[in-house]
Amino acid sequence: MRNVLVCGIVLVLLGFSPTVQAGAPAVVKIGVIEPLSGNAAAAGQATKAAIEVAADIINRGHPELARLPLGNTAGMPNLGGAKVQVIFADHQGNPSVGQSETLRLITQEKVVALQGAYHSSVTVPATAVAERYGIPWMVGDSSSLVINARGFKWIFRSTPIGSNYAEAYLGFLTDLSKSGGKVKTFAIVNENTEYGTSVGGEIRDVLIKGGFTLAVQIPYSANSMDLSAEVLQLKQKDPDVAIFVSYTSDALLFTKTFKALDYSPRMVIGDDTGFSDPSYIQNVGVIAQGVVNRTAWDIGKPGSATYRINEMYKAKTGVGLDDTSGRNMQGFFALMEAINRAGSTQPEAIRKALAETNLSPDQLMMGYRGIRYDATGMNTLASTYVNQLVGKEYVTIWPESAAHGSLMWPFKGWR
Amino acid sequence: MRRGWLALGVVLLAAPLAFQDPFYERMIALVLLWAVLASAWNIVGGYAGQVSFGHAMFFGVGAYLPLLVYTHWKGAPVLGIPVGIAVSVGIAVLIGIPTFRLHGHYLSMATIAVAELIRLLVTNWEFVGAARGLGGPASGRTIWDFCYRSSIPYYYIFLVVLALVLGFTCWMEQSRMGYYLRAVKSGERAARSLGVSAPRYKLYAMIASAVFTSLAGSLYALMLGFVDPDSVFGILVSVQMVIMAALGGTGTLIGPLVGAALLIPLQTFANSLFGGQGNGLTFILYGGIIILLSRFEPGGLLEIWNHHLARKGRKGRTE
Amino acid sequence: MIALQVVVGGLLLGAVYALFSSGLTLIWGMMNVVNFAHGDFVMLGMYIAYLAVVVLHAGPLTFTLLAAVVLFLLGGVVYYLLIRQVMRGPMLAQILSTFGLALVMRYTVFWFFSATFVTLPGSALGGNVKLGSILIGIPQLVAGIIAMVLTIGMHLLLTRTTLGSQILAVSEDRQAAMLMGIRPDRMQALAWGLASASAGVAGALIATFYYLTPTVGESLVLIAFVVVCFGGFGSVPGAMLSGLIIGLIQAASAYYIGPVYKDVVVFALFVAILWVRPQGLLGTV
Repeated sequence: MRNVLVCGIVLVLLGFSPTVQAGAPAVVKIGVIEPLSGNAAAAGQATKAAIEVAADIINRGHPELARLPLGNTAGMPNLGGAKVQVIFADHQGNPSVGQSETLRLITQEKVVALQGAYHSSVTVPATAVAERYGIPWMVGDSSSLVINARGFKWIFRSTPIGSNYAEAYLGFLTDLSKSGGKVKTFAIVNENTEYGTSVGGEIRDVLIKGGFTLAVQIPYSANSMDLSAEVLQLKQKDPDVAIFVSYTSDALLFTKTFKALDYSPRMVIGDDTGFSDPSYIQNVGVIAQGVVNRTAWDIGKPGSATYRINEMYKAKTGVGLDDTSGRNMQGFFALMEAINRAGSTQPEAIRKALAETNLSPDQLMMGYRGIRYDATGMNTLASTYVNQLVGKEYVTIWPESAAHGSLMWPFKGWR
Repeated sequence: MRRGWLALGVVLLAAPLAFQDPFYERMIALVLLWAVLASAWNIVGGYAGQVSFGHAMFFGVGAYLPLLVYTHWKGAPVLGIPVGIAVSVGIAVLIGIPTFRLHGHYLSMATIAVAELIRLLVTNWEFVGAARGLGGPASGRTIWDFCYRSSIPYYYIFLVVLALVLGFTCWMEQSRMGYYLRAVKSGERAARSLGVSAPRYKLYAMIASAVFTSLAGSLYALMLGFVDPDSVFGILVSVQMVIMAALGGTGTLIGPLVGAALLIPLQTFANSLFGGQGNGLTFILYGGIIILLSRFEPGGLLEIWNHHLARKGRKGRTE
Repeated sequence: MIALQVVVGGLLLGAVYALFSSGLTLIWGMMNVVNFAHGDFVMLGMYIAYLAVVVLHAGPLTFTLLAAVVLFLLGGVVYYLLIRQVMRGPMLAQILSTFGLALVMRYTVFWFFSATFVTLPGSALGGNVKLGSILIGIPQLVAGIIAMVLTIGMHLLLTRTTLGSQILAVSEDRQAAMLMGIRPDRMQALAWGLASASAGVAGALIATFYYLTPTVGESLVLIAFVVVCFGGFGSVPGAMLSGLIIGLIQAASAYYIGPVYKDVVVFALFVAILWVRPQGLLGTV
């Protein structure tokens, strides 16, 4: 009797697994794999909300968003008005789960394309699965160079990566030193997981080549309880500029430690991620005035498309859109634009349309110079702004063409 | 008894045919991989009674070596397997000797500490990829790359290894070593007073356990094509091996396989069903199961099965 | 003097380590139970403090007290429902049960608070004091001092009061204690309550200068293990001393060797202690 019960339970559980959907695509399914639990869950859930907003925009017409592809259409016109349905999966920060979920989305949910996955450690193996099955994958957030360096043809990346950020900092600091500012020495303070190590290293190399002197590089363990040693080391080396590559928890703690030790570098640059997280501004914004950041996201003026998108996201989550989720949202839009342009849900057609993407800046919500992929799937026009925290908002300050304000210098912090 | 094993063998051989779906094929391949890991742990944790919570160190070494060979010398990853095993055995000996002088919780703590230490060192060592990890061949260059699109070849490779580890365990159980280990497990001082060299046999068990764990790690790396410090050296890997063995029943031959066969599908389905919402329900369920198991039936499911059989036997006799 | 700054910072953090580790060492010494969920008890203390501030607008004294009381009760409940039975079973089951408990606690909090980081409102504005040439953050200073006082208090409770000696009696020899009319079960539940309460208070104190996230327990429990092993199982003064030392070593290695190595040094020390002197500084094997 017990055996029958056990078998029954197993069968029921198996029955729960999603079944094949028959019928023509009145719905286009996209799979999105992000960390929805674990240490990066905040970022994963923000991205989930952003993509849900994007899907909603695509499925319903919004006249004020007409300049964005699919902004003012109900569904996808070239596919008979088909709506997009996003299926989210949680990889828990685990590469094996990422691969399994990718497989499930492809073979059981029958998604026509995938997006993800934040952690480069998950994106690298998961995209390999997509490549093997010939399903297009849009990388909206991961930064590892390996992703597009394997000769794959199904993986497209719309987001700027470490080298783009490094170039933006180089441009910003070079302009500043040309106009008379004393910025000769710099320090890199990076957390020692994949993100901090690769991006930190790229920034360091680009700045050194650009003529700046490295005062010190301080790798540290993420999620430390105490960062005073790191700050004291910085104080000792006294660089003109300190660039932090940190996640939210450390960004918060660094800022508080500056105040506690009454020391801060003359310029504090926070490389997005931790410093762009809404909880950063909420919790320590008031003592971090003047922190420089990079972002490809600018809310713009009231009434503009970007402002409207921010409002929609805010209505859903209670906070403004952050750069990482924005980049994911942009990647999603670019993906759907290509699918619509392909007029088909056949993988090869989508892939071809993606490879031929040519979006101009005014068709984008993010501040890239456009979206055009090279042979490896990287966006050659990806770029980023430099901004600064003034009050409760980040204000774009570089390049001049996009600036809304000018640089406040040196770093004010809590003073 | 023999018939039971035969039936099991047939089921395991035929299982992939029952699932014509890549997702399920991958899942059962992972079941076998974790069955191998749990069985390998069982050798030293179940039979020798030395509860190690640091087996991830062997798994990680086994996983890293093949991809190191590929990354630095473009060689076929398989060449790294024997090297991985050798390094793991080296670590087992190095830490086994001082650690097996400890007992109970001290032993477990020591294994956790060493595994964490290794993880930290790997995270900060550029040569092995530091925090970025190492990637494997993107697609099979030759047959020796073991790069398959389908999970089925991996399934059968894991099945062979599982047969090996269970075969070894069975042999050990019935050999003198197994006899000595049982003596040590039930009372080390008594065993030593009778002349059993406890440290030596515990070390042998640890070495055997390390060999199979390392092998499984290498196979994992071949299948996934990517490793990084957290996914292969993390404490969750160690804990999961222990939980699977415990769920099925430590110190039994088939316990680890039972544990893996139940836990992997449970985790996979829980995540697929609930993960998308991102509320952590998967882990609450997982934790709840662990608590219930340890509270009510620490002997694992096989113990429950034995009770059931015993009750049936008693009922038969009274009627 | 930067060296002095490093030392003071390390000692203050070490005092907090000492506080939550003293509870762990009591349980361990008394009942030979490894509590993998100990870090999550601290985490709960942090969140109770947060809720107290946000919902009740409580002051520091109130929320600390609240954390202590709630966690004391939780500790007792956990003992009666889980630990008491599991203690009689194999060691593996004991370890696994507290590990499962840790997961459940962590992800239940995660369910309610999800992943966004929160900090105690108003704590960003905590100032600092200048003592000579070194600066000390006020939250850290207060936390360190209170932690020290409470740890000493716990030690005095255990050694100078009747209740305390009853608890110690049970840990020394359960049978003998029963013969003297002490109810071991009750004493053990009390010890669990005390240990959890001290973890809760440590959490409330930490919340004044650290951020809150459900997964913080993971790293805290490992530090607690190191402190307890170093200090000696069952010895509260040992935990006090070793907490301070570990805090100091961490800070010094972070500054002088390199921040990434601070954990490496602590774990290497951990392994060395276990191999060379498992009974720690002040413990008896």
